[in-house]
Amino acid sequence: MQRDLGSLPLAPALRARLVAAGFQTVQELLETGPCGLSKEIGISKEEALEALQVVRQECHGDAARTAGGSGATRKCTALELLEEEQAQGFIITFCSALDNILGGGVQLTKITEICGAPGVGKTQLCMQLAVDVQIPECFGGVAGEAVFIDTEGSFMVDRVVDIATACVQHCQLIAEAHQEEDNLKALETFSLESILSHIYYFRCRDYTELLAQVYLLPDFLSEHSKVRLVVVDGIAFPFRHDFEDLSLRTRLLNGLAQQLIIVANDHKSASHGFRDVQPPAVTQNAEGTEMNPRKRPRREEEK
Amino acid sequence: MAAKKLRRARLSQELCERLSRHQIITCQDFLCLSLLELMKVTGQSYHDVQKLLCKVSRACAPKMQTAYEMKLRKSVNPSSAFLSTTLHSLDKVLHGGVPCGSLTEITSPPGCGKTQFCIMVSVLATLPVSMGGLDGAVIYIDTESAFSAERLIEIAGNRFPTYFDSDEKLYCMTRSVHLYRELTCDSVLKRIMSLEEEIISKKVKLIIIDSVASVVRKEFDTQLQGNLAERSNFLARGASVLKYLAEEFSIPVILTNQITTSLSNGLVIQADLVSPADDLSLSEGASGSGKRESGCVTAALGNTWSHSVNTRLILQYHDLPTRQLLVAKSPVAPFSAFFYTIEKSGLVLQDGKDQTNLTLEGMNPALQTIRVRNTALKDTLLDAALPSTTGLLYCWSESRGGPRS
Repeated sequence: MQRDLGSLPLAPALRARLVAAGFQTVQELLETGPCGLSKEIGISKEEALEALQVVRQECHGDAARTAGGSGATRKCTALELLEEEQAQGFIITFCSALDNILGGGVQLTKITEICGAPGVGKTQLCMQLAVDVQIPECFGGVAGEAVFIDTEGSFMVDRVVDIATACVQHCQLIAEAHQEEDNLKALETFSLESILSHIYYFRCRDYTELLAQVYLLPDFLSEHSKVRLVVVDGIAFPFRHDFEDLSLRTRLLNGLAQQLIIVANDHKSASHGFRDVQPPAVTQNAEGTEMNPRKRPRREEEK
Repeated sequence: MAAKKLRRARLSQELCERLSRHQIITCQDFLCLSLLELMKVTGQSYHDVQKLLCKVSRACAPKMQTAYEMKLRKSVNPSSAFLSTTLHSLDKVLHGGVPCGSLTEITSPPGCGKTQFCIMVSVLATLPVSMGGLDGAVIYIDTESAFSAERLIEIAGNRFPTYFDSDEKLYCMTRSVHLYRELTCDSVLKRIMSLEEEIISKKVKLIIIDSVASVVRKEFDTQLQGNLAERSNFLARGASVLKYLAEEFSIPVILTNQITTSLSNGLVIQADLVSPADDLSLSEGASGSGKRESGCVTAALGNTWSHSVNTRLILQYHDLPTRQLLVAKSPVAPFSAFFYTIEKSGLVLQDGKDQTNLTLEGMNPALQTIRVRNTALKDTLLDAALPSTTGLLYCWSESRGGPRS
């Protein structure tokens, strides 16, 4: 209860007035009550009540945290985390080599970044994952939906139709080979139309739209709770030009990354950010180009 | 969307005034600030600021559509999704032809047929939908003064003799091709930005820019400091405006590019400034194994540009008069190669020729090596071993008015 007033999420003007009036700790504030507060600081009774409610909420949150319970905290033992990680699914790609390298497939609740030279297949992989996340559980998938945020405009529906048709055929072959009840039932709902209707597509033309869309993602995901994959195709593209202020760019990118991490953890989905990057021209293998995406300078090896 | 004023985002009047005092007028300014800065500037509490953020985001965010809705829209109007090039095998591989709503780039060494391809496609776009065209006008931005109206009529008359049977029809077609001659980067950019109204008023269905590289390389010397950043800025801005136009009106945009030589030790020189004799030595270096400096001829304008275009077609020399067309980058097509020749009726594919010996360097379309004329002639002419001969032939290839004789 000795918490300092400055740490509360109050409006700055209100905070300034409280400090000017001499209030220092939360205890003092709660003792005064709304009428007294409004008289002392010169604000309306409603505003005073609102402020006190905010303060009380914060304190309850504090108390819960110090008591060590409640879901607002993220405290758990490593064993619980291990069990959670093992229980959660992967997004399989039906390429056994790729799934093996990734340890089962693309992980949920994590951000996976795919970077590469132009034309190498990043968008293809994106589209494939948007289809593969919908594979029913009896075939090993996570039966989720996908959000596709496109900044480059290279999402071609025809190609997704091709990929989806092939995926459905593959599942049908598996079902025929194993002849199980669940498989056949799942196949009834796993069709081309249902796959396409569960890919939610957003076309962002510049970084403002991208920022806006990412801010709105938590609300969207709570409405569409079955979404298990968020793909951002071309996170670098809107930031590569027209940015004189590089520090702003770094800040915006970091902010985006944090938002996506929050989304990934809260909604148990996988986030994919795609970057177009020119790896050092001659080397074929990617090791040694360990790039920290936040500190990567803008390498312009233009020809 | 970014320049949307906050007033239109349904924020209260006094809030907008308060924000404008801090120079925050558009949604873009608002969304670039962190939460703490927003609290300071609006004077509201943390939770209220988050609600405000959601409100402003909703004003800017793009509309959602499912992939199924996109597919339905395309299937309702299948002809409007592609512009058929009438090169049958190419259309098959590209799932219909040049895609509408994205940027397609044609790259080749000089004299391979870029402008011919562009002129041919202009004719195709003016054809009625029943014949595979788009029944619309064409905007042709010419930076090299390479467009020839006579060639346009020649291609039209020879390719579709039954349709263009009267002069009347030919003139009608030529009236739909709007030509703009722009010679500087600035004027090209201004022209692109002003296209929106023209597209609506003239019912334009195809935009061609021939060529992007020539005007950019004239003005930006990448050896000078600062020019590289400016150049990529210009290219990226142009690309985003063109993408917006392409998507908004669902039309194809075709751009042409030149080639450059990239040496493996990082040096880059512009291929057209190099004399043929030097070019020969460079290509020899590429085939020889012991040399340190090996160069390869690739598409110009660098990696940012390679990322910006959605489809890249490369034209290159094979054995004269046959040339090769590669699909180097495409979201729908695999890496493929076709042979073609340039005839009176434009480009003609050679079906049935052996296409299996294509070297699969589809590793990076920005680094896809392109065969230059000299390499093709090298073997036959090296016996003569006269640099002057190759020099003469190099100049001779630059005629624009028709097939090579």
